[in-house]
Amino acid sequence: MNSQVDTERAQDLERRLRAYEELEGRAHWPGALKATDVIALAVLTLVMVVGAYVLGGQP
Amino acid sequence: MSRAREQEFRLAAERGDTPLLPGERVWGFWGYAYANSALAVATWVFLIGGATALFVGPLQGIAAIIIGNIIGVVLAASSTCLPCGKYGVEQFTFLRSMFGVNGSRLVYILSVVILTMGWLAVLGLMCGRALDNLETLVQHSEPDAGDWLVTAGALLAIVLAALVAMRGPDMIRRLSAVIAPSLILIMLALMYFISRRYSFGELLAMPPLQPPFENPHVNFMIAVEINIAAGFSWWPYIGNLSRLCSNQRTAFWPNLVGIFGAASLGESVSLFAATTLGSSDPTAWMRLAGGMTFGVIALSFLALANLTGMVNILYTAVIGLRQLAGERLRSLGWGVLIGLFCIIPVVIVLLAPGIYDGFFIFLVWTSALNSALAGIGIADYFFLRKQRLNLRHLYAEQSGSPLRFCKGFNPIALLALVAGFAIYVVVFNPQTLAHTDFFTFATASLPSCLLAGLVHYGLTRLLATRLGWGGYPKGNESTIEAAGLRVQD
Repeated sequence: MNSQVDTERAQDLERRLRAYEELEGRAHWPGALKATDVIALAVLTLVMVVGAYVLGGQP
Repeated sequence: MSRAREQEFRLAAERGDTPLLPGERVWGFWGYAYANSALAVATWVFLIGGATALFVGPLQGIAAIIIGNIIGVVLAASSTCLPCGKYGVEQFTFLRSMFGVNGSRLVYILSVVILTMGWLAVLGLMCGRALDNLETLVQHSEPDAGDWLVTAGALLAIVLAALVAMRGPDMIRRLSAVIAPSLILIMLALMYFISRRYSFGELLAMPPLQPPFENPHVNFMIAVEINIAAGFSWWPYIGNLSRLCSNQRTAFWPNLVGIFGAASLGESVSLFAATTLGSSDPTAWMRLAGGMTFGVIALSFLALANLTGMVNILYTAVIGLRQLAGERLRSLGWGVLIGLFCIIPVVIVLLAPGIYDGFFIFLVWTSALNSALAGIGIADYFFLRKQRLNLRHLYAEQSGSPLRFCKGFNPIALLALVAGFAIYVVVFNPQTLAHTDFFTFATASLPSCLLAGLVHYGLTRLLATRLGWGGYPKGNESTIEAAGLRVQD
């Protein structure tokens, strides 16, 4: 830490880290993936894999 | 703090030096979906679709494209986009949490530097082939893959890509903006020419080009594996794109529109083109599909599109290399660094031009690495850290951080990586296509991803918490406490 720029850079990093720590401390993280997203993704993947195999994957 | 300084720090955050705050991120759902689709619809979809046609006909090929890409994209995006989209951190800075500071540098070299060098050679050779096919069209001669023009064209493309990359991002953005729409037009034109000659039923019934095994199920599984590899091949890149998205959901779902949906469509068109025109080489389709005028325009665009793709990946890889490199490498001039980076692709073009025709071998080798990396990422972020990171550890001096592991390397994650890679090659050898029976129903990427994740999870639970490595929660300790996540006063 040897110059004004370094000090300000460290302050900027600190500001960013604190912003995320505050978000982490809240009960709800805005825009986070929810259980419904995970279920929808699992169902979509399963339908794609099984559907594609049944319709075209078998020789 | 002055306004100019704030701007400077914001730019530094955009480049990955610090985490991007949610309010600073530029992409919503559709913005990222467009960027993601533009990335997906590049000349590599032609190559992947063409490679799929070697093993299976169009009906099985479309199934392989859908199955392979959805598996690869979902696993690659889960292990990178979700953490990077949540915290706005640069992907290889995030990887310090599982590999250590030096370990993440090693992973960068393995996954980005080597991959980019290979792609530069492949896309350069595709430029060379496009020039050779142009000459064939104009002079009505026979194409010659071993022609000096192919090598010279490839070398010229690498030199041009390096020169454009030296000019910086503005030129790259301008070139990229016209390429994706042009390639979509080429694909539509290809489909038009194909549909004039064949009915849809005839198209679906076309045979594969060069199936290597008598058992069609084995050929189908190799086609699936190639497409899983295509999905996983986004692993080194998408984390850094998703950190620019407004939130975690926006960072994840558009991947299914772009690098799954758009890529699958492009690969399917390429599959039809390859099987109907009898070649897996996209430059040959442009010559054969629609006559002289279409051929000249399409081949010219194809060469330009390759050049743009090369510039994009070269620029991104060298930016990342500077980010992770030590002071000595960082002090080298930008142009010198780009020039040095291009030496190995030039050597590959000169000594191993066969990489273009055996492109899928190169792609599948990368999957042996990327699938294991995805497995480790999922095990670490979701199961060991329960989706909570201490960003202070990521940005702290190595000596004072639990992420120093062992001299900056996490031996557990590296061992897991080796285990994942090894099981892949045992189950399916990309070089020889030799495989076990297990491969014919489980693929090679999935066992590799699973084993790497299990080894990382098991050994971390067993050893890392006792050794004080990584700041992982112990037993019933809450993840928020283990990560030291309490807002400081």
